[in-house]
Amino acid sequence: MSAADNSQGITPMLAEIREGIAQGRVPARIFNDQEIFDLERRKLFGKAWCFLAHESEIPRPGDYVTRSIADNSIIVARDEHGNICAHLNMCRHRGNMMCKSEMGNASHFRCSYHGWVYKNSGELVGVPYFKEGYDTRLDRKQWGLVEVRTESYAGLVFGTLDPQAPSLDEYLGGFQFYLDIYLKQGLGGSEVHGPPDHWVAETDWKICAENFSGDGYHTPVAHQFGFHLGYFPSSGATHSEGWAVHIPGKGHSIGLGHTPGMPPFFGYPDDLVEQMHESLSPQQLEVFSKTRTAVGSVFPNLSFLIQPFSLVPGEPGVRFCTMRLWHPLGPGRMEMWSWCLVPKGASDEYKEEAYKAYTLAFGQAGTFEQDDFENWTKVTRAAGGSLAQGLEFPYVMGLDRPPLEDWPGPGHAVSPYVTDTNFRNLWGTWADYLARED
Amino acid sequence: MEPGAMPQETPASDRPEAGALITDPHVAGDQDGPIVIANEFADVIVSRVRTRNGMRLDIWSPRRGTRVQLDAVELDCLSYQEPETFTAMLERTPGA
Repeated sequence: MSAADNSQGITPMLAEIREGIAQGRVPARIFNDQEIFDLERRKLFGKAWCFLAHESEIPRPGDYVTRSIADNSIIVARDEHGNICAHLNMCRHRGNMMCKSEMGNASHFRCSYHGWVYKNSGELVGVPYFKEGYDTRLDRKQWGLVEVRTESYAGLVFGTLDPQAPSLDEYLGGFQFYLDIYLKQGLGGSEVHGPPDHWVAETDWKICAENFSGDGYHTPVAHQFGFHLGYFPSSGATHSEGWAVHIPGKGHSIGLGHTPGMPPFFGYPDDLVEQMHESLSPQQLEVFSKTRTAVGSVFPNLSFLIQPFSLVPGEPGVRFCTMRLWHPLGPGRMEMWSWCLVPKGASDEYKEEAYKAYTLAFGQAGTFEQDDFENWTKVTRAAGGSLAQGLEFPYVMGLDRPPLEDWPGPGHAVSPYVTDTNFRNLWGTWADYLARED
Repeated sequence: MEPGAMPQETPASDRPEAGALITDPHVAGDQDGPIVIANEFADVIVSRVRTRNGMRLDIWSPRRGTRVQLDAVELDCLSYQEPETFTAMLERTPGA
């Protein structure tokens, strides 16, 4: 009997699922299942560090955006003193949503129901008819907005609903080395280029998270027209080359695709490459200079991709960087959030070119984005079928491959680029969270 | 004003017509603007008003129907207030 054809509920099966993952088997049903989703909401998204915003989205005092962790709406704001803070987007009086706009600037938030007013740092200050209605019964200090713990790395603001969670630094566990390819593109770091695109997709968030944990395997097939038309500087003959790295037990992964003969840092402007020699370590330079495609994920649902892409087929590629959040809405249903990151210190011309390349490949109507969601939606639908409930998928690629001994970066690194090694770590970490006692 | 008290509306006779822009007769003299300052919680229309002998800044809240005209000394005073000053104002009159 497989690990997934049990009708007794998913929780008793988690030990069996974990054992299967270690042996290279993952149940199909996890990609579209109400019980799994309910567990994820409580045990995974209620405990992990989850991405909220990039600091460049709220650069000035009073700037705010609204984001989510699982089914909780969160206000991420920069207060009047310049500090970044996050609060549950819910008035403490009767629970109304405080900020209905996705982004804005406000020194104070005023509830549209009964008019309670909060500072953008969360303290309750204004209560209509305070003297006439409440006498002395309401202590405003006790009724501020509910604070969400935040920490940042290189411009990324994360939040956790778990007060006992380890520090973000410990949570990332060395993956910062690889995140820097996206976040330290030059001395000024990275910034968002405009607001994010976002849309709802009938796709399970985990399928996307797995793909962006380094699935170089699908690229020559799912995106074959990108190859054939000359947009993407890789070849099916060599596309397996490169490396896959993950942080054991943490779930963070990256795939580093390599094209033989491609010049170092191909697709970046020269001045940016010079800056990277200062913003990155020698070990990072060694890895990143050889990288054509860097596709990686911070567990559980924040991903990045950097690669050259040609604006005109056959012409030299332009490096673009996308950051994406696979926000779960329900089993088999998600909201896709997609940003373009650009190097802050780059020329406006390069930023615009990079944004065009991002839009062409990974905007909502981008060629690669369309290719992916067509496949991912079909996978999701199939995984919810009754017969699929008892099926498993093979995750045995690279199962016996030892890690590279001379790899210059942290984590478990293997070669080639095409392997399931990262995915076994991803699903093992995911199952560990779901199996933990509350 | 007591904490949580309601602001007094401008008397109807002193208020512009709903939807009227800065050319309403309540504002005397030439003016620059209007500039709209708005977020999801409030919106105000700001204009520079030239009086016979000087100028003021007109701040008009059409939804609330209130307005204030501040001279340079008052605006200068605003320029060195701490954010907490405005918080204290909202504490006294949250503006339901």
